[in-house]
Amino acid sequence: MALAAPRWRLRDAPAAWLLIIPVLALFSVAVVYPLIETIRLSFFDIKGLSAPKYVGFGNYLTLFADPTFRNTISTTLIFTLGTTAISVSIGWTLAMLCAFAPRRTLPFRMMVFSAFGISETVSGYMWISMLRPDQAGLLNNLIGIFSPGFSYAWLGDADTALWALVVAASWSAVGLPLLLCFASVQAISKSVLEAAYMDGAKPLSIMRFIMMPLSLPGVRVAIFINLLNALRAFDIIFILTGGGPVRATETVGYFMYRESMTQFKLGYGAAATVILLIAVLIVSIPAIIQRTAGAK
Amino acid sequence: MIGRAPRWTIVVMAVVSLIWIVPIIGIVVTSIRPLSETSLGWWRLDQVTFTLDAWQRVWSEYPLANAFWTTAQLAGISTLLTMLLTPAAAYAFHFLHFVGRRVLLIVIINAFVLPQQVVIIPLFRLWRDLGMIDNFASVIIPYVGLSFAWSIFLVKNFLEDFPKDLIEAAKIDGCGPIATFQHVVLPNTLSPIFAVGILQFLWTWNALLLPMLYLRSDVPLPVVLARVAGTYDLNWDLRSVAAIITTSVPLVIFLIFQRQFAAGSRATTGGKE
Repeated sequence: MALAAPRWRLRDAPAAWLLIIPVLALFSVAVVYPLIETIRLSFFDIKGLSAPKYVGFGNYLTLFADPTFRNTISTTLIFTLGTTAISVSIGWTLAMLCAFAPRRTLPFRMMVFSAFGISETVSGYMWISMLRPDQAGLLNNLIGIFSPGFSYAWLGDADTALWALVVAASWSAVGLPLLLCFASVQAISKSVLEAAYMDGAKPLSIMRFIMMPLSLPGVRVAIFINLLNALRAFDIIFILTGGGPVRATETVGYFMYRESMTQFKLGYGAAATVILLIAVLIVSIPAIIQRTAGAK
Repeated sequence: MIGRAPRWTIVVMAVVSLIWIVPIIGIVVTSIRPLSETSLGWWRLDQVTFTLDAWQRVWSEYPLANAFWTTAQLAGISTLLTMLLTPAAAYAFHFLHFVGRRVLLIVIINAFVLPQQVVIIPLFRLWRDLGMIDNFASVIIPYVGLSFAWSIFLVKNFLEDFPKDLIEAAKIDGCGPIATFQHVVLPNTLSPIFAVGILQFLWTWNALLLPMLYLRSDVPLPVVLARVAGTYDLNWDLRSVAAIITTSVPLVIFLIFQRQFAAGSRATTGGKE
């Protein structure tokens, strides 16, 4: 064993490189190069096929003077925080309700969870049909019960279109918090819950004083994941509002697409991407620290 | 179960979950009733006729068959590549010693936070200069490259509990590092590899942004649906069929493999909880 060990060590490195070279190659093309290149391009003025012109921080200065981009920041905040708050609080509440009868609520959990398994493109389309401006839109029809003949173009108004986005994105996003929080609640020791039950605690107080505080680890992960996903959102916005009406519902992640891929302002779009990247990194600091510390 | 479950919690959950699937029921019902009946709302019961007319016509109205095949190829190849390359790298990172191992690992597993928006401008320029726009590789390469950030983390986490004795035994039997991987580690790592495959398949099947930008002639289902979804046509029945076809495969896989999905999704974005 002692004699064999050095020979093993010697052959370790070449073998390791052989095994990870394909991964490194693909990772470099798909992640490292785009990351560096996006940052580099954000300092250039590039329009279509013409040669890039160095402009320093010019793109960033233009961004923050651009009223469309400023509106993008508040849209991003409302969309990200709104979607996360709604989806996590609903998912968490449902998870605690389900914990009282895990087996009998399984089919119901599957139903809510299935929304999470539907392509974002498809759920966007579903919400378009739910919010149809005519009488065949379910929402208009429900309001029509109270005020006959009601019809409203929900996606045609800047404010309601943004909230429609939040609702549609939350609808899909509840699945993961439900799953994570449910696992956290299930992990609570049965004896703690039984003791509370014996003492005559009502379900609501069991939820409030035992399940809520003890499921916080799962909730924290759910909040992080949903924040990250909402910040990076693209598909649902593209389908449901296309950033409209008149660019009122563009988040930063959508704005960069619009500027770079439809207006061909690649440098300007890259600068917006860098802003998105900074936002994502800020949200991810705890996760990055945790992962880096755990990388042995 | 805690003592006797209070009935109202189940009732609340049942009501919420029924409300939750209303949009799904909506497009299914719209797809199997004639357009004339649903023009005032798919829930109306004045007259109910069952028809598969839209399901038959949709194939000639939209290029769905072709898109389905394209989607299957893109998702299939990307999934296979990720499943093939991830375990080898995770094994090397976990069991082998080489210079720069920890730095590379930290860079790769932290890349999971990156939004896909970061890749679109540089790769658009690169593919354009290389003449690779409209080539399947232009989306498969970023699909696979981006997946390593979470897939290697997931498999390496699994390897942390891998019995060291087995590795030592293989060494004593004269196995080199690659033979150890092939005969000892790989056969015992199939469950996380499978979880990686499911996540990657769902992600690539549903992807809209990259194929929309880099592919022109053969596009996958989400891109076709995106093109017709927002139009002002009144063919709600045809579009509902297209939506159901787009999401049918991933939804079925998602529901069957929930367990693997749950284990995997936690590793893709969270820590080990």
